[in-house]
Amino acid sequence: MNLIMPDLSTTGSPIKVIRWLVEVGEFVERGQAVLEVETDKAAMEVEALGPGTLLRQLVPVGTEASAGDLLAIIEERVSLARPILGHAEQNEESAIYSRDFLLGLYERMWLIRQFEDRVKALFLEGIMPGTIHQCQGQEAAAVGVCAALGSNDFITSTFRGHGHALAKGLTVQEMLDELFGAVTGCCKGKGGSMHMGNLAKGMIPGIAIVAGGIPVATGMALAFKLRKTKQLVACFFGDGAVAEGAFHEALNMAALWSLPVLFVCENNLYGASTRIDQVMRNTRVSDRAVSYGFRGQTVDGNDVLAVYEAATRAAEECRAGAGPVLLELETYRQTGHSRRDPCHYQPKEERAFWSGNDPITRFAQALLIGGNAGLDDLDRIQRKVDDEVERAVEQAKTAPLPAPADLLSDVYAS
Amino acid sequence: MKRQAIAEALRDAIAEEMERDETVFCIGEDIAVPGGWGGAFTVTLGLEKKFPDRMINTPIAELGFFGIAVGAAMMGMRPIADVQYGDFLFLASDQIINNAAKMRYMSGGSCQVPLVMRAPVGATGRGSQHAQNLERYFTGVPGLKVVAVSNAYDAKGILKSAVRDNDPVLIFEHKLLYGSKGARTESGAIDATSEIPDHDYLVPLGRAAVRRTGSKVTILSWLLMLHFSLDAAQRLAGEGLDVEVIDLRSLAPIDFEAIGESIRKTGRVIVVEEGPKTGGVSAEIAAGIHERFSDYLKAPVTRVASPDIPVPFSPILENAYRPSVAQIVQAVRSLLS
Repeated sequence: MNLIMPDLSTTGSPIKVIRWLVEVGEFVERGQAVLEVETDKAAMEVEALGPGTLLRQLVPVGTEASAGDLLAIIEERVSLARPILGHAEQNEESAIYSRDFLLGLYERMWLIRQFEDRVKALFLEGIMPGTIHQCQGQEAAAVGVCAALGSNDFITSTFRGHGHALAKGLTVQEMLDELFGAVTGCCKGKGGSMHMGNLAKGMIPGIAIVAGGIPVATGMALAFKLRKTKQLVACFFGDGAVAEGAFHEALNMAALWSLPVLFVCENNLYGASTRIDQVMRNTRVSDRAVSYGFRGQTVDGNDVLAVYEAATRAAEECRAGAGPVLLELETYRQTGHSRRDPCHYQPKEERAFWSGNDPITRFAQALLIGGNAGLDDLDRIQRKVDDEVERAVEQAKTAPLPAPADLLSDVYAS
Repeated sequence: MKRQAIAEALRDAIAEEMERDETVFCIGEDIAVPGGWGGAFTVTLGLEKKFPDRMINTPIAELGFFGIAVGAAMMGMRPIADVQYGDFLFLASDQIINNAAKMRYMSGGSCQVPLVMRAPVGATGRGSQHAQNLERYFTGVPGLKVVAVSNAYDAKGILKSAVRDNDPVLIFEHKLLYGSKGARTESGAIDATSEIPDHDYLVPLGRAAVRRTGSKVTILSWLLMLHFSLDAAQRLAGEGLDVEVIDLRSLAPIDFEAIGESIRKTGRVIVVEEGPKTGGVSAEIAAGIHERFSDYLKAPVTRVASPDIPVPFSPILENAYRPSVAQIVQAVRSLLS
């Protein structure tokens, strides 16, 4: 509820701002005095009409404003997260993030979208080999979680891993090269789209068998615990994986042994072409955590800051030895399951709804309204990213392919 | 020097490796239960007292804990994962074949999975789902090494080599060769004990061993059938036929060099395998021999194996399923006639 100057002056004279009573970043309650103003008759206070965080003071002390002027940006942060296990969701004071951090999130999400769209075009042009499973629409899930991880932390991913890879820090070049089967790709051309990874950057190759990576991530966490490093692993999987035995077995053991693994279910409502309510009676994935004895939380997966905050909190718990956390990120795949899937199994109204719930658009709006960025900032970021991707595409098209001798290497240690 | 059975030798091998290297740990079902069995065949008996943190007892979740072992191995541990019965490997096979075996290759060489897996095989009266020989399903999986240990000396040395190897290694053991004692004694068990040196020793992976030299016929075998082949050779020696018996020990890769050396001498080969004939490991061995040594062969490779049926329960049927010493003897005679 933004703060507007009320009509305080009976004579219509300008009103001078005397003193701000609330600092930027502070939370205000409904009815709390935010600033002190002076008319020709008296000094009085302007109160907040609703709770929120003071993001911007728009009128400096000593200047004048008229009735109806916008005095301050107060952002009411409504969290859609509803945690289980009786952890009361306090109306947390919203943290204040640096402009660099926020723009960094935006840039990374835009990078993923641009990368995926460009790859789709290359594929449909017929010049990119293989198949692709893309994540347009799910950028906030990848970026929000990875932003909460340290550089020593790991992620595991699936056949739909391009977004996770970019969010974790793989370069556009190493990924495009891999997609073209070049020897300069992140897996020397031997992995392909479904096995993106770079061990040095904390991402093992994607595990393309549904749920196959969940026990693996749990094992990585076991190693971290046995070796007493303070690392954790975020394990990405979809709603489809929840039905696999591997999900059950791994979550049970992660809980049993209090392993530092953050289970992240990107619930995009579909396992391939089958809607979630066709494969499970209880479609709230986070409910399952309590059955293993740990905390589950459902989060608006298209709100990058909500994802970031949930992941940060969960990461702290994991690192402290409290055991795993299951985050269910509600999101939607705006592209097909793979290749040329026209998504006829998705109802039009549903697609339209989620189109209007685009994570990148939402974040841009939040940045603009919050005053963290202007349109020119966002344009600049977009142009920078588009250029980077385009240059990488051109380089990838002529990247060197593996030699015949490369076929037989990397099977065994020696 | 001390004489030990396979179960004891394996137990020492595991303990010594865990002592030597703190990244080594065991994960499996019923392996660390105080007052328990030490796994289904006593191999890990008592180890939980010495290594309380590194004997991880799991729920019944082969897919899950084999996958966990893969992940831990990728992050610098050296797990030893076992199934109680080889038949349960099928549940874990996604993690073994799709993950462990392929990870090095599909990462372009940056990831490795130094994982050891152990599985008991062989028909022992427990019916078709607790009796298979599963070597065939895991040989020829690129990226996966497969070995089969037929005596205590090899069991200890091969397990140690496997732990120190940087590739995933699947070790097949035979239920009738463990020499398990007490309540876990197997009826029909064979003496597979060896003299075990006191010092640390390794048996290299990938190498066969000649167990009995001869010049008339080469018999290639492993696990229980290796012992039956030695029995057969003993009988045939009484008839003046000297037979060379080779314990293959490594099923992936196959030691064709050792095989070739023998074939150049004898010109005749029999492969003896417990398990259905069609699609067995012996099929790959036979094809490989023909490709490499056909100039030296006086006859095509002969296979002695089980019929193409699930393992029957009834003892009279199971005995018919399992190749016998008599069958091996007969095969040699036919070859030489």
